Amino acid sequence: MRSLIDRLRGVERDIVQHPDTQTAPYYEPQGAEVAIFEAAWRRRLPVMLKGPTGCGKTRFLEYMAHRLHRPLVSVSCHEDLTSADLVGRFLLEGESTVWQDGPLTRAVKVGAICYLDEIVEARTDSTVIIHPLTDHRRRLPIEKRGVEIEAHEDFLLVISYNPGYQTVLKDLKPSTKQRFVAITFHYPIPEIEARIVQNEVEGVSADLAARLVAIAGQARALKDHGLDEASSTRSLVYTAALIAAGLSPLQAGEAALVSPLTDDIELAEALREIVTAHLGPV
Amino acid sequence: MTQDPELQLALILNELNESSFVAHRDLNAALPAIESFGPEVTARWAQTGRDLFFHDRDAGKAFFRASAELAQITHGVEAWTEQARGFLSIRGSWKALTGYLANFPAAVHEFGVEDARRWGEIGLSWGREHRESGDILFTTPVAELSDGRGFAGAYELMGPLSDLSATRGLPPGLALPGAIKVRALLGPQAVLPWLKRGTDILKSGRLRGESFFRLEGAESDEALLAGLAGFRTSDHERFLTLFTRATLGLTPPLVGAGLRIGERPFVETDGRALFVPAAFPDREEALAAFLHHVGHLRFGTYDGGMLTRLFAAVGLAHPPLDDDQRITWRPLFAAYGDDLARFQMLFDLCEDFRIDARIQSLVPNHVPRLLALASARPPGPAGRYYDVAISSLQMIVGSAEIGGHWPALLAPDADLLVSWRCAQAWYQDTDLPSLALDERAAGYLPARSPNSQRPVYPRAPGPGEALEPEEGTGAPAGDGREKKPAPLATGHDPDMEIPPEDTAGSGGRVGVGRPQPGGWSPQRRRLRPPGEGIPYPEWDYREKAYRRDWTRILERSLVERDAACATGLLTQYAPVLRRLRRAIQSEKPHRPSPKRRQNEGEELDLDATVEHIVDRHTGSYSTPAIYRQRRPSVRDTSVLLLADLSTSIMQQAADGEGRVVDRLKAALLMFALSLEEVGDPYSIAGFASKYRDAVSYYPIKDFSQRFTAETQAILGGLSGRLATRMGAAIRHACVQFQGAGGARRLLLILSDGRPADYDDGGDSRYLHEDTRLAVKEATDQGIHAFCITLDATGAPYLERIFGRGHFLVIDTLDDLPARLPQIYMRLRKSA
Repeated sequence: MRSLIDRLRGVERDIVQHPDTQTAPYYEPQGAEVAIFEAAWRRRLPVMLKGPTGCGKTRFLEYMAHRLHRPLVSVSCHEDLTSADLVGRFLLEGESTVWQDGPLTRAVKVGAICYLDEIVEARTDSTVIIHPLTDHRRRLPIEKRGVEIEAHEDFLLVISYNPGYQTVLKDLKPSTKQRFVAITFHYPIPEIEARIVQNEVEGVSADLAARLVAIAGQARALKDHGLDEASSTRSLVYTAALIAAGLSPLQAGEAALVSPLTDDIELAEALREIVTAHLGPV
Repeated sequence: MTQDPELQLALILNELNESSFVAHRDLNAALPAIESFGPEVTARWAQTGRDLFFHDRDAGKAFFRASAELAQITHGVEAWTEQARGFLSIRGSWKALTGYLANFPAAVHEFGVEDARRWGEIGLSWGREHRESGDILFTTPVAELSDGRGFAGAYELMGPLSDLSATRGLPPGLALPGAIKVRALLGPQAVLPWLKRGTDILKSGRLRGESFFRLEGAESDEALLAGLAGFRTSDHERFLTLFTRATLGLTPPLVGAGLRIGERPFVETDGRALFVPAAFPDREEALAAFLHHVGHLRFGTYDGGMLTRLFAAVGLAHPPLDDDQRITWRPLFAAYGDDLARFQMLFDLCEDFRIDARIQSLVPNHVPRLLALASARPPGPAGRYYDVAISSLQMIVGSAEIGGHWPALLAPDADLLVSWRCAQAWYQDTDLPSLALDERAAGYLPARSPNSQRPVYPRAPGPGEALEPEEGTGAPAGDGREKKPAPLATGHDPDMEIPPEDTAGSGGRVGVGRPQPGGWSPQRRRLRPPGEGIPYPEWDYREKAYRRDWTRILERSLVERDAACATGLLTQYAPVLRRLRRAIQSEKPHRPSPKRRQNEGEELDLDATVEHIVDRHTGSYSTPAIYRQRRPSVRDTSVLLLADLSTSIMQQAADGEGRVVDRLKAALLMFALSLEEVGDPYSIAGFASKYRDAVSYYPIKDFSQRFTAETQAILGGLSGRLATRMGAAIRHACVQFQGAGGARRLLLILSDGRPADYDDGGDSRYLHEDTRLAVKEATDQGIHAFCITLDATGAPYLERIFGRGHFLVIDTLDDLPARLPQIYMRLRKSA
């Protein structure tokens, strides 16, 4: 009954996400990232996840939050994000004012993992307020209220960042970068990536998964040759899902692997040819 | 004159007997074949021959000599005898008549007697106007003329030619051979436009017109390409190279092999570049051919080490090199003498099989595509080879059982040597027929071609282009990746600007000859006196230290101006500029996004208002910055474009049309005009170097200057010179940003090759490392460096120098003018 109402109305959830104790999010480790993250967590060192779009950074964090039994607060950063949006602000309520904590403040208080996704997108003032949280002080100053909050001992700050052509002018300051332990993500190796596709979409054969991965491998060679973002694991999962939903492989490839990636006609033609080579009729 | 035919004949015989032994003999020889058609016909025939003889001795003899056979084949005499009299009105007509007589039976066969006579009439009328035109028509084989479509086929060429001859004075024979080829290449509908174009050109210049009709020269190529059917390589170059890059990881440079009329569209390679035909019959064949030949490069057919081993296996100590350091294949096959073509075919079959199997593992529709293309089996011995190729491909996709010599070639470590041995073993027990060299081409499947046509630049092993020369060893000479100075335009040598003592150094030209490994010896040259030039440090990776004041920047102004060239380029690229301007306009927000928390403005900023009220309630200090304001904000990006003006930009563009520098000029003009539209502060400069103490920096436009006609003329007059010491130029460019304003500073470097200089001792890593450090210094100063390169193989070293994502490779030179401003807009937007 509950789930039916949820389906009808959408679900309002708190920003502090406690991990589901039953099912762990699916994640395939690719290297030492789990060990590094756990070590950083034991020492409460802030972590920076680097890697291209759609390679599994967010999923990794959900997995780690579950593994460490910590709640997770995710904030997608954008260019209008101010420090008040992170820390909190006063609101009017009748004649009086009430303070409302922002997501970062809440995470600091409850000892959650706070994930600032694509931090480079945020305004510089908001990146600076995280500085005191990232060193030995582990404090969050709230100027408006004239207080400093000492972080919960389980609080951990995680940021993600995708270095690349788009962000040449928007790089993180070195002073910000060096406060973090960095974990670099790449697209998974073919075997793992195929396994991920099979796991994410039910009913995908090993052969289809391998073909999709081969497509991505070749399409990724076109990055920096006009392609700004390479085919991600996510787009492979989408393709598999479309095929599982009844689309022909070529249609699915066009919809999830070609059209979203580029508007450049010749580049699209090359991508399409790669898709045809692996998924087309033989 | 007597009316008796026999008497007439006797008189003619007598007459000839007195004047020419040969003519008399030939008449007598032909007589028996003609006499059966009756005495009157015979007399008329003999009379014609005699008249022709007295008109032109050779013509008469040719007439008598051809007669017997003609009479026999055409079962008649009158038709051609009467027409032959037409040659009496043409001076020096023996050649035309000989051709006419030789071709007449074929004309009767193709056209029928009536139309054969029309053919003759047209030829005679051409000959009367222009003797050689008649010669050419009559000596052109009738089958070529008719294209298998009878007189209609012949007339579709002869008709327009006759018309143009009458109306515009075109000598029809001049254009006929070309017209036949054009029809074969482009189809009948293309002939008339081609002829008209040629006539126009001929009117404006005889030599130009003649070479046009001979299908030679740029004008002809242009006209033919415009009408070329099929899958045109030049239109799809980028697609094809992107595809091979994605699938095989290689983008070899492409060189147009020109139009080859009537030949199969073979792709060839010299181990370095692909020589591609102007067009393929269809897209599928183009894709297959590209994959196949890039596959050869990728999987080691042309690896230097492998070729050396192959030559060693044949007993040759060292592969023979030609003047260009290329390996020639010929000695390998010498042992097979006259049977060379057969062995070469077997060797190619083995090697092509090996390569296609390897490609198939990466591109699963490659072999099925080859099989689908192989639908036109040639007749004769070549067909046997064709069949073998097909059945071998079927083995790869599992539709035929694997056997014979093939399995060895499928092994993952199979290489060129294995193919060679397979071919040798196969040669011993093959029942495949011998081939003449000219039959060989037909035996190749579509998309395949002879592998050993061109001498080969030996390749480095493996995927090749990712390899960087190891430190200290000096790069192997002529590996194609070093920048090479290009031939300069005649009459202009920018090196002349440099004082003679600078050009007398030990370095020699960059990339010419074998770079000398080891250290450099600046002492051998006299350095500039201290105080001349602005000193900058340079990083020495071996010492892991900066060499203080090691390089000197000399700011020089460019002296060449070419306003006409700039105007020409602007006209040529007007559509591009229009598109860019439109794109910039559409990106300029009509309704700029509001600035928040302003002291004044058009509307309330709700968040700020609430905060302000709250602050007032809580008693804390607050300024009433509660408005939102919509006003275009001042742009906050400033950009300096630093162009590499080294010699290599003077090279011919890979597609053969114009030089690299022309696109560079156009790109800089587009960039400047786009920036004018955008309104960002920008500066343009160029650099070139010769030795560490003479790095020239050419300011073209300062941040504070306006873009004027003068700037335009400077850009129009750009030319390439010397080498590329990039680090020093970057350091000097960073200084230019001082006082430029702009919160974000972007240094765009436009280059076409790796950093190199005359005194780098062949150690390319030295200047790479220095450039890397210079980029890092720029970053520390808050200047973002971004490199745009024309070097398709630049990705590996640029990633080391500029870092991931901080460079872009432009694969097609033609794209540069449009892409450069777009890239800037893209970078800026992300700011």
